[in-house]
Amino acid sequence: MTAQRVDVAGARIDTRKKIAFTFDGKACTGYAGDTLASALLANGYLRLARSFKYGRPRGLIGAGAEEPNALVQLEEGAYTVPNIKATQAELYDGLRASSTSGWPSLDFDLKAVLGQASRFMPAGFYSKTFKWPRSFWPAYETVIRKFAGFGSAPTEADPERYDHLHHHVDVLVIGGGAAGLSAALIAGKAGLKTLLIDEQSEFGGWLLSDPKLPVGGAGADAFVRNTLAALDKLPHVTRLARTTAFGLYQDNLVLAVELLQDHLPLGQRNAQQPRQRQHKIRAHQVVLATGAIERPLVFGNNDLPGVMTVSAGHTFLNRYGVRVGQDIVLTGTSDVIYDAANALAAAGAKVSVADPREKAIARRLEPNVTVYQGYAVGEALGRQQVRAARLVKLHPTRDEVVGKGPTLRCDALLSSGGLSPTVHLFCHDGSRPIWNDDVAAFVVPKSGRAGIACAGSVTGAFSLQEALAQTAEAMRKVLETLGVQGEVVVPRSNVPAPQAPRHLFRVPDGKPEGVGSKAFVDYQNDVTAADIELSIRENWQHIEHVKRFTALGFGTDQGKLSNVNGFVITARTLKRPVGEVSTTTYRPAYTPVSLGALAGTMEGATFDPVRTTAIHASHTARNAALEPVGQWMRPWYFPKGNEDLHAAVKRECLAARTGVAVMDASTLGKIQIDGPDAREFLNRVYSNAWSQLAPGKCRYGLMLDENGMVTDDGVTACISDTRFYMTTTTGGAAKVLNWLERWHQTEWPELKVWMTSVTDHWSTVALVGPKSRQVLARLCQDIDLSPEAFKFMDWREGTVAGLRCRVFRISFSGEISYELNVESGYGQALWEAVMAAGADFDITPYGTESMHVLRAEKGFIIVGQDTDGSMTPVDLQMSWALSMKKSFSFLGKRSLSRSDTARSDRKQLVGLLTDDPAHVLVEGAQVIEGADISKVPMPMLGHVTSSYHSPELGRSIAMAVVRGGAKREGERLFVMAGGKVTPVKVSSTVFIDPKGERQNA
Amino acid sequence: MPKSIQIAADALRSPLSHLRPAAVRGDTGLRAAELPNLGYIVLRGRQDDGVFLDAVAAVLGAPLPRKPRSTVRCAAGVVLWQSPDEWWLLCARADRDALVQALEQALQGCFAQVADNSGGFTSLRLQGAAHQRLLNHLSPYDFDQLGVGQCVSTVLSKATFTVLRTDEQGVTLVFRRSFAGYIWQLIERTAVPYGLQLTDAKSCSDAWLAPLLADGKKATRVQPSFA
Repeated sequence: MTAQRVDVAGARIDTRKKIAFTFDGKACTGYAGDTLASALLANGYLRLARSFKYGRPRGLIGAGAEEPNALVQLEEGAYTVPNIKATQAELYDGLRASSTSGWPSLDFDLKAVLGQASRFMPAGFYSKTFKWPRSFWPAYETVIRKFAGFGSAPTEADPERYDHLHHHVDVLVIGGGAAGLSAALIAGKAGLKTLLIDEQSEFGGWLLSDPKLPVGGAGADAFVRNTLAALDKLPHVTRLARTTAFGLYQDNLVLAVELLQDHLPLGQRNAQQPRQRQHKIRAHQVVLATGAIERPLVFGNNDLPGVMTVSAGHTFLNRYGVRVGQDIVLTGTSDVIYDAANALAAAGAKVSVADPREKAIARRLEPNVTVYQGYAVGEALGRQQVRAARLVKLHPTRDEVVGKGPTLRCDALLSSGGLSPTVHLFCHDGSRPIWNDDVAAFVVPKSGRAGIACAGSVTGAFSLQEALAQTAEAMRKVLETLGVQGEVVVPRSNVPAPQAPRHLFRVPDGKPEGVGSKAFVDYQNDVTAADIELSIRENWQHIEHVKRFTALGFGTDQGKLSNVNGFVITARTLKRPVGEVSTTTYRPAYTPVSLGALAGTMEGATFDPVRTTAIHASHTARNAALEPVGQWMRPWYFPKGNEDLHAAVKRECLAARTGVAVMDASTLGKIQIDGPDAREFLNRVYSNAWSQLAPGKCRYGLMLDENGMVTDDGVTACISDTRFYMTTTTGGAAKVLNWLERWHQTEWPELKVWMTSVTDHWSTVALVGPKSRQVLARLCQDIDLSPEAFKFMDWREGTVAGLRCRVFRISFSGEISYELNVESGYGQALWEAVMAAGADFDITPYGTESMHVLRAEKGFIIVGQDTDGSMTPVDLQMSWALSMKKSFSFLGKRSLSRSDTARSDRKQLVGLLTDDPAHVLVEGAQVIEGADISKVPMPMLGHVTSSYHSPELGRSIAMAVVRGGAKREGERLFVMAGGKVTPVKVSSTVFIDPKGERQNA
Repeated sequence: MPKSIQIAADALRSPLSHLRPAAVRGDTGLRAAELPNLGYIVLRGRQDDGVFLDAVAAVLGAPLPRKPRSTVRCAAGVVLWQSPDEWWLLCARADRDALVQALEQALQGCFAQVADNSGGFTSLRLQGAAHQRLLNHLSPYDFDQLGVGQCVSTVLSKATFTVLRTDEQGVTLVFRRSFAGYIWQLIERTAVPYGLQLTDAKSCSDAWLAPLLADGKKATRVQPSFA
């Protein structure tokens, strides 16, 4: 055992509350307040993973979100979550975790055997291997994926819920450390509506790892407690812990995820509450107090279990009461190594400090601390874990080895390469942070930018005193921008000035790069310093190319420990300034976000609106099968007994053509158009003419886009000279209204016309068939239904079933048909009255499937099925719908004369009849000239757009678009689908009643 | 001649009539009720057209509200501002026919539109201590800015609604019939942590709209200005 639980005053664990958990099936114990990481250390676990490529043993490096190695699979079955960082998993009773790498096991990993051949597996080797034979790639992929490790996605449905919550605040403070707490207090005291969030379970940030740091005359722990108490007294200040801001978007929208219940034992979670909540926050001012993350130094074998950052060692000790080793070597670029050294020595460790700086520190050190001045760690030694550190003597100013150093035995090796400010959110707008040579860090501007203030160490103000002073300055500006007065006071932190740091990244070991032991930059993807140099030698020199070639920063840690080291090594290899080489792009999410939190309520039954008509309950009561049409659920067919689709459709169609049938057509878009210029407006948006349509009459219209292509169709009725009632396709309703508004508002605002959607106000019951008139007569006494008085394409107002009703004699089936329109509050009542009135006639409800067949038998198009945005009215053999003499013109008219649009050999709508009448063509099947499909490629003449079995004809029918189809009637062609070829003849698209006698009867 | 088939006298169905409201149990943080079968008349006209404004005011007995998000209570009911050229009049259904006729007559020769949309909308009252928080779950609008006497049209998830505040205890949501099922399901599932109770309009009442409900006050008699 190297790590040990020790008693530390001020630790955040509660040793009175023992917690039982398992790791890889083995029983372990920890305490309330532990993370899984601190508990695993205390239980003697050092090796927690096997690396991605080489299978090298890995352990914890960090203590927070920056951890790259210790990824675990939490829980099982429906509750399992892959790739949680053990450093971010709060320990709870009964927690079950397992490692996610190492095959067949962590202890014996097959990949590690292959890893011996690592010389042949540098960065970029994937793109040069596993390429042949090509047919083997799926097999390679399966094996590589298995070896790669990382956890498993759940295979059962998630039983937990997630939601979203919107906020509108004056000030959002992101980060609850010293700077954030101070900023929130200043804002709150100034009366601003303030939200403070922090990713950790407790507020305090780094202060939790150094509770005795002097702040405001007391210790850091007192400062945190008092500030939180003060904040809680302010009614317009809210604070949320366990809440990670993962993205900063345009106009100060911040998205954050709160882990409401992830820290609770499964049995104690409240099913009525969400497990995680996505907060969507709009703030007038965002204050980024996101702090900084310590990066390690890069040296040989720096990936051995037991090698960690200094801040991790310090945090595990002070916050969780776990001393990471007995014999500890510390090395680093600044005085933080002495803060940690003293703390660890006071906790009973033997500590050696390799300080690469020339000058000795003037500070009291604990006994048991030995300093090697001017030395750095050139290489860590050990096989399954670190056993020793080989020191090297460095030149005082240059990164050169000038002499050998001792090899020190150790069971933990902590390094600090300096702080990397957590700039991500600031850079989510695509900008880059600025390299500051003085502090050797990429920082955000101290003055922030419009709407965003930056406070604390994220600006490069690394000492507590500097961070607090800079916070005060930033908040002064925030208050001024928001136009409020307020006290801007921050505590003082009187710590003696630290010694100047020595900027160091890749510690030299006296050998050329790539010759000595592997020095890792990115742990998750096994990227070494040598790999970066290789990338540059292979001419992948832009930092974004270096990233893609080596995979630097690709992992779930998103390069939090590795990126800056990688950028600097790249710059030094290129011999260019670091600021010029710059960084790769920062993108949301800052840390992984579960899909459930992103979805919120947009899943399951509420994934999308399910729209139904007022008549819907009547359909489900009659056992209708339903199908989605856009957002609507419409009756598809009404099976009787155990009829299948085909039997039901056959019966429904025959009823419509020989008796009487009824359909719910309420989903169509309906727009009321009023105004003295209504006719002119219709003339411009439809291809056909509206000037002569009299009140009481209806007309079918085609809408074209500016390219002359059909985009929608529908019947529009003239109510009066200044009022029209337009219908659209079900799916096109919103699009058409937008289209009309767009043209009216931007091009023809002088036209006096209003358009208002009345889609939901009206319900439409289509009464269809030779006997429909008789049924209607039972319901309506005040309209003259005789064919002479009420012609096809007329409409009348009257009373149907006691309801005020508009009756439109229009037909989508080609039979006598009356569409009854009443306000939707009576829609269902009307339907039932129609069913009652037609009972003697065996009235048959039908759905969308029969509707499709009936209209296809008549050659009526369905926009979006027979058209695809590339068909003109001429292509559709509907030139009769073009009124080329309208005085103003109409949308799409001019484009019809474009050379390509006017070609005579364009795809044109035709009918197809198969030689075998029983064979129904597949919609989408390709139309070809000949039967021989052995020579590909071959020209495609077109495709089948609609295809059905016609109950009336007792055979199949189809519509298709075929090149030059207008001239091909009678021709023999072939249709290919699924490798099978079917002979067909081109026919008219009108298969039944070509003269239209039935609908006019 | 066969007797003409007629619908039943109580055949009118509101969009949420399929839900089963219950009597309120205990002190609930949140309750909801459909305010069923109101009249909804959409009025279009230009806000800078004096003739239009005067004609409407004469019928409604009050001038149309002209500020964004504003509302007006009048003899006919409640008017909601939707845009510089659109208002929604919520009225008693029994007054709907007379109002539509009166408005159309008054606006003859005027560039305006009267569109009856009574079949197309419904209203849902939400009240209780948690109602504001529920709104913040559902929709990105800053509802702190919505004062008593104001309304706003905005989005919730993948639909739209209008939110009307007539008192501090709650709000009334106005939305389309075909989206009503989806919106109710959204509200129901979002409200799970808060204990939502669905009840009837009597136990969850909007003071401005209650008199317009079928079993509220007797319908007002609307006098058309042009006989």
